[in-house]
Amino acid sequence: MDKRESMWDYYLKKGMSRRSFLKGCVALTSLMGLSTDMVSKVVEAAEKKPLPVVIWIHGHECTGCDESFIRSGSPLASDLVLNEIALEYDHLLSAACGEPFEAHLEETIQKYKGKYILAVEGAVSTKDNGIYCMSGGHTFTHLLKHAAANASAVIAYGTCAAYGGIQAAKPNPTGSSGIGMFVGSTPIVNVPGCPPIPEVMTGVIMHLALFGQVPPLDNEERPKQFYGNRIHDTCYRRPFFDAGMFAERFNDAAARAGWCLYKLGCRGPETYNSCGNLRWFQGMSYPIQSGAPCIGCSNPHFWDEDPLTLRMPEYEPLGNVDKIGAGIAALTAAGVVVHGAMSMVQKQQRDEIEAKKKGEQ
Amino acid sequence: MKEVTRKVYYLFSPWLRIFHWIMAACIVTLFFTGLVITIPWIIFASEPTFSGMTVDNIRNIHFVAAYILSAAFIMRIYGFIVNPGDRLFSHVWKGYFYKNVVDVALHYMFLKHEHASYLRNPIARCSYTLLYVLAIIEVFTGFAMYYMTNPNGIGGVLFGWVITLVGGEYMAHLIHHYVAWAIMLFAIGHIYMVIRAEFMEGESEVSSMFAGSKILAHEPRDAGHLDGTLE
Repeated sequence: MDKRESMWDYYLKKGMSRRSFLKGCVALTSLMGLSTDMVSKVVEAAEKKPLPVVIWIHGHECTGCDESFIRSGSPLASDLVLNEIALEYDHLLSAACGEPFEAHLEETIQKYKGKYILAVEGAVSTKDNGIYCMSGGHTFTHLLKHAAANASAVIAYGTCAAYGGIQAAKPNPTGSSGIGMFVGSTPIVNVPGCPPIPEVMTGVIMHLALFGQVPPLDNEERPKQFYGNRIHDTCYRRPFFDAGMFAERFNDAAARAGWCLYKLGCRGPETYNSCGNLRWFQGMSYPIQSGAPCIGCSNPHFWDEDPLTLRMPEYEPLGNVDKIGAGIAALTAAGVVVHGAMSMVQKQQRDEIEAKKKGEQ
Repeated sequence: MKEVTRKVYYLFSPWLRIFHWIMAACIVTLFFTGLVITIPWIIFASEPTFSGMTVDNIRNIHFVAAYILSAAFIMRIYGFIVNPGDRLFSHVWKGYFYKNVVDVALHYMFLKHEHASYLRNPIARCSYTLLYVLAIIEVFTGFAMYYMTNPNGIGGVLFGWVITLVGGEYMAHLIHHYVAWAIMLFAIGHIYMVIRAEFMEGESEVSSMFAGSKILAHEPRDAGHLDGTLE
């Protein structure tokens, strides 16, 4: 692994044609959300840039993001892992294990100091010095800090790594949080989603790999090309919303006809992701297309924004804010009437006193 | 019939009065269209497309009213600077302000038969300050949600940070909705208090918002605000 090869070197080694290499570059360009005039830059990078070393670690999570990642269709996750990045260490995908494996991690960190990309899945458990999430005999916090300090960039894959995830739901017994506070000054890219879209995961890492810098980010450190639109604004059911045609229940005629799921609590209007335009599994479908309202899985705190099938929280036994608001308004109106009546009595008394005063004069 | 000698105090410029009524109309429009947008109604169980009540239409009305309200709010700030009579901001930095608040509050709690005369009731002033705060919250959360359709646009840059500040867009929706109810509660209290002041206390609270002047029987404590003798 001393001479690090580029993507083009790999293609040559495999005996693949220049044509298929260029085709691959064009596919990569569009996947990364770049315009076609960037193709030449992508080709240049793919020819010369040595494959980036990637260390992929897992914290407090379900590994669902990896499950998503390995289903990436273009580029194929296998292509990416074997040909397009040099994945040196991965808790989940590596065949090796035990002490030699941990030693290899340390070796990789030292060898490629400041050059490797650190991909992180899963939240950080901060309570009780982080003992609720251990890895290789250390707390995950320790591993993360060590690996992030020497990385060129950190990718936070999934809502857990970005914002804390399901285990951060109230009352958050393990003190889970996003990794942001533990990466120091290393640039971070948040790729939220539970899980993120496979092609978004591969697209972000390819951008880092080919250009050696983080993609353009918004103010929550998310790559703009994948998180620049609301699902609501890209949803193919948006015309039904605009026309006021809504499914009222999950099994009514409107739901079967594919009308808007807004009244069933769809979080599309609050969620930034590429589900609406990229969709899942090579454009096959996405939750709303399958008849399930969006739950806003790429939002911070989405796990606490229940019930997910209603637009607004319910406060039992009173109901939602509209019911409570109308109730308080009625009470206020009643209070106004009482106050008005008492004011009238007061005015009468005042007039009597004044009349008496006048009589005395 | 008892005889009262009254004096005319010209207070509110046409500028303030016009924008007061424009803003009132906008707030009512925004509140009801907002409720419909949150949970759209079904009209006569008919295809909504044919009822004119499409969410698209309602949203456009909401947005137009929002723009007018924001513009009127900015115009009000201009009026505040130019016309001393239009300044309704509470003088919380003055000692006498609190004395007057207690005076009026005791009267409203029926512990005093009447309160002293004021051109601008100190408790009303407090409630207007609160209303301004609520309105600003609505403007910022509202425009944040509205402009984030295009986060890279000028509007997204100007207001997008609000989403991050409140911890997500869902939270922005909730705050926007809850504060709308708070404004409605203010409106109920406001309408009652001005009618009470007008017809029971003879304080010209309703008529002054049409005519601009208050016709008062007693020398108001804050009369000096108009000619600058009271700082």
